[in-house]
Amino acid sequence: MVTKVPFQKGLFEETSGEPALIGSKCGLCGQVLFPAKSVCLNCMSTDVESVKLSRDGKLYTFTTVYMASEHFPPPYTVGWIELPEDIRVFSQIRGWQEHPLKIGICMRLYIEKLWQNEDNEVIGYVFRPTTGETLR
Amino acid sequence: MREVAIIGVGSTVFGKFPEKAIFELGAEATQAALKDAGISPEDIQFAYYANLYGGMVEGQAALRDAGITDIEITNVENACTGGATAVRKAWYDIASGLYDIGIAIGAESMTTSPIAGKLIPPAKGDLSGELGMNTMAKFALLQRRYMDISGVTLEQIATVSVKNHHNGCTNPYSQYKKEFSVEDIINSRLICDPITQLQSCSTTDGAAAVVLTSLNMARRYTRKPVIIAASVVRSGDYAFRQKDIPFSDVTSKGAKDAYTMAGIGPEDIDLCELHDAFAVNELQHYVELGFCERGEEVGLLMDGITSITGRLPVNPSGGLLSKGHPLSATGVAQIAEIVWQLRGQAGSNQVPDAKVGLAHTLGGEVADLEAGAVGVHILKV
Repeated sequence: MVTKVPFQKGLFEETSGEPALIGSKCGLCGQVLFPAKSVCLNCMSTDVESVKLSRDGKLYTFTTVYMASEHFPPPYTVGWIELPEDIRVFSQIRGWQEHPLKIGICMRLYIEKLWQNEDNEVIGYVFRPTTGETLR
Repeated sequence: MREVAIIGVGSTVFGKFPEKAIFELGAEATQAALKDAGISPEDIQFAYYANLYGGMVEGQAALRDAGITDIEITNVENACTGGATAVRKAWYDIASGLYDIGIAIGAESMTTSPIAGKLIPPAKGDLSGELGMNTMAKFALLQRRYMDISGVTLEQIATVSVKNHHNGCTNPYSQYKKEFSVEDIINSRLICDPITQLQSCSTTDGAAAVVLTSLNMARRYTRKPVIIAASVVRSGDYAFRQKDIPFSDVTSKGAKDAYTMAGIGPEDIDLCELHDAFAVNELQHYVELGFCERGEEVGLLMDGITSITGRLPVNPSGGLLSKGHPLSATGVAQIAEIVWQLRGQAGSNQVPDAKVGLAHTLGGEVADLEAGAVGVHILKV
C-alpha cells in the first residue's frame, strides 16, 4: 500500500481534481505571499486570509540542472513561475523534454510525485507547459 | 569611533588539499599574518574566525596551533560573506575602543566538507532546497533571465572568466593559474544551463587572515598602514520586493552604505575585488557597486576598463573564478589581496598607484530572500 505524503504541509491542496497552491493575502496592504503566513511580511498586519492561487502562470526563468540534488537525479529542470497575483513561485518543471521551454510561455500547476521515501510517495507541486490548452 | 588599520595579512595558497584539516589551513594563514605584521601571538587580544562546514570551535583549534589561547574568540558563519563578517566584527571591536589589536580569519575545506563534489544546497529543510535549488541554479536562473531581457551573449559573459583567469595566472595564491579562451569557457561541462563549469568558480580549500589595530597603534608597527575606510554587512530583503532578479538591491544598498561611510564615491575606487562566483555576477556587480549605469556593464568589460591594465581593474587577483572559492575564507582573502595592492606588493598583478580598493562578497541561498548577506569593505592608504 503506497501512502501519499506532501513534501511539506500546508502548501497546496487538490479538491475534485483542481490543484491549487495556498497563499495568504493581506487585508491591509494587499500583499500576496506563498507560502502562506499568519502575519503579512510586507506590513506586519495580522489581517491576513488564506487564498488559493491561480493555477496558470507564466515562465519567468528556468534552468536544467545536470548534477544531482538531495531528491532529484540529473537532469532535472526548475524555474520561477510568475502568477497573476504578482508573485513568483519556485518549482520543479515537468514536461520540458517534450516541449522546449522559453521565458514567457504559459505554465500550469499539477500535484505529482516528487520522490519516493521508503514506502511513501512524496508529492508536491510542479508546473508543466500548457501547450494546446487555453488559459482560463 | 576610532580609525582602524590593517597591519598584517596572510593567506594559504587556494586549491584542493584534502589531507589538511580546516584548522591547519587557518593556523597557516594566521601565522603568515602575524609574521607580516611583525607581532607575536601573545599580542593578539581577540579573534573572529569564519567557517561554514567545520564543527565546533574551529577557531580555537586553528589559533591553538598558531600560539594564541586564553583570549576572546568568536566563531562566525555567514555563508560566502562569513569572512567579510569576521573582518567587520573585528573592525567594530577596535573602532569602539573595546580592544586595540585583533585578528579576523576565514578558513574552509570544501574537499572534506559534507558537500564535496556537489552543488551547494540551502540549509536543511529550506523550501526551495527541497525542490532542487542550489547556489549555481539560483544564478543560472538569473543568467537566463538577464540574457533574455538584455540581449547580453554567452560569449560576453564568458569574457569575464577569460579576464579573471588571465589575471590569476600570475597570482601565486590562485588555484588555476591557467589561461582559457571564450570557447574553452563555453564548451566546458554544462552544469546548470546556461552556466558551464568554467563560468563557475571552483569551491576549494584555503584560509586567509588580517591583523587589525587602531590607526594610532598601527604606526608603531608599519610605515604603511592600510586604513579601513568602510566596513558594511547587511542581509537581503524579501524576494517579493525584488522587481526583477538579474540585479540585486542588497549589493546596491551595501555599496551605498560603504561609500557614505568612507565619504567617497565609486569614481574614487582604483581597484575592486568582487564576488565573481559565476562570471555573470561580475557584470551585475559593476552596476550594483555604482561603476556604471545598467546597460553599460558589458561595455566596461569589453572595452578593457576592468582589465588589469584598465582604468578600474576588477578582480586583478583572478577573483573567485581563478583563485577558487573556500567560502568563508574568500572575504578575508579579498582584503589581503587589496592590502598587497595598496602597499605595492602585488608583484606581476600590481595595479599602478593604487590608493583605494573595494572588496565585495555576496553569500547564502535561503528561500524567500533575495540573498543571505553582502559584505562591502573600502580600504585606503
